Amino acid sequence: MTKIIAVHSYKGGTGKTSMSVNLAATFTKMGKKVCIFDLDFRAPSLFAILKAKDMECWLNDYLNGNCEINKALVNMSDKVTGGGEFYACLANPATEAIRDMSSKDRKWEMHALGKLLALKESLLKNNKFDYLVFDTSPGLQYSSINAIVAADFVVVATTGDRSDVDGTKRMLIELYNLFEKKTGLVLNKVLDPSITAKKTEMKNKIKTDYQVPLLGIMPCFCEILRNEGNLIFVQDKPDHPFTKILGEMARKIENDDLN
Amino acid sequence: MIRNDLSSKKPLNILEKIETSLEKLNEKMEVMIEIQKNNTGNNLKNTPTLPDASLDVMTLLSMPDHLRKTAMTICRCTRATAEEIAEHTKRARAVESAYLNQLVIMGYLKKERKGRKAYFFIEREKQS
Repeated sequence: MTKIIAVHSYKGGTGKTSMSVNLAATFTKMGKKVCIFDLDFRAPSLFAILKAKDMECWLNDYLNGNCEINKALVNMSDKVTGGGEFYACLANPATEAIRDMSSKDRKWEMHALGKLLALKESLLKNNKFDYLVFDTSPGLQYSSINAIVAADFVVVATTGDRSDVDGTKRMLIELYNLFEKKTGLVLNKVLDPSITAKKTEMKNKIKTDYQVPLLGIMPCFCEILRNEGNLIFVQDKPDHPFTKILGEMARKIENDDLN
Repeated sequence: MIRNDLSSKKPLNILEKIETSLEKLNEKMEVMIEIQKNNTGNNLKNTPTLPDASLDVMTLLSMPDHLRKTAMTICRCTRATAEEIAEHTKRARAVESAYLNQLVIMGYLKKERKGRKAYFFIEREKQS
């Protein structure tokens, strides 16, 4: 059963953060208790997107063993309506914290993986969270691979860009296959609107090309770019196609309906 | 067609017999190790292991497939017996026992006996 979802990609700028925030918000709107985690320690961004204030503890502190997970969670349920609960666990954006996280050794990373795996007990079991969404940094970095290993399901975002396609294919074969991870691919920022119409054709093509099931096709929406990451889109635009497509993706993940 | 079925069943039966024999052999070896351990005090602790080898994700990636599966499962379970690991990996208990012991020798896991059961775990207490 999928409880921890990691959103990952090979290249940066594929729309991971936007997808993570809005996927977590979609689950919240479905009445679920959700927490989003910023695991992009080298370029933290959720802090700014969610406009968090007066943080007592960061995800960094939890992974460093300096605080309990409950202290690092911020309740942001007022930002998403729909009956669910929306929490965030944020990465510290201070330069010193980024430097600190960049200099961790293998031993620390092993402990960090243990800490992420322990969330199953502390948050999912004891605090009755329905979903934990990990927003990761792109490529093959320790924090991202830790998130992938700890997750039950990984959403891989990719664009049609040639620099991204080859790397994503290699990553799926050489990394995901080795970890036998349940994965769904999201073709994001699709410019050709006819692609979304040929869903079955695309589904088969993705499966042949990437060897993983297609979770969804997301067209490129200028409205999202225009918002400059300032809002939780699915909350503010409930009738927008972006919201509807994310709703379909969330239902697929919830029902384990990927093939 | 019938001949094909018969000929494909035979090697399968032989393989099953080999698996059962291996399991028995492994159990006996474990008993022998236990006896040896009792006879020589805690000499087993002197088995050469690589100290402080960390079971991080990059190490997991570089492992051979058969060991990675066991190591990944123990990462998720934190502490488990070979039987519990075998339930997850759907492989024979004796096979998992051998892989777990290999990971202990490599320094990635610790082993602790409680009664007749042997528990394997990752030592995470010494947080850096």
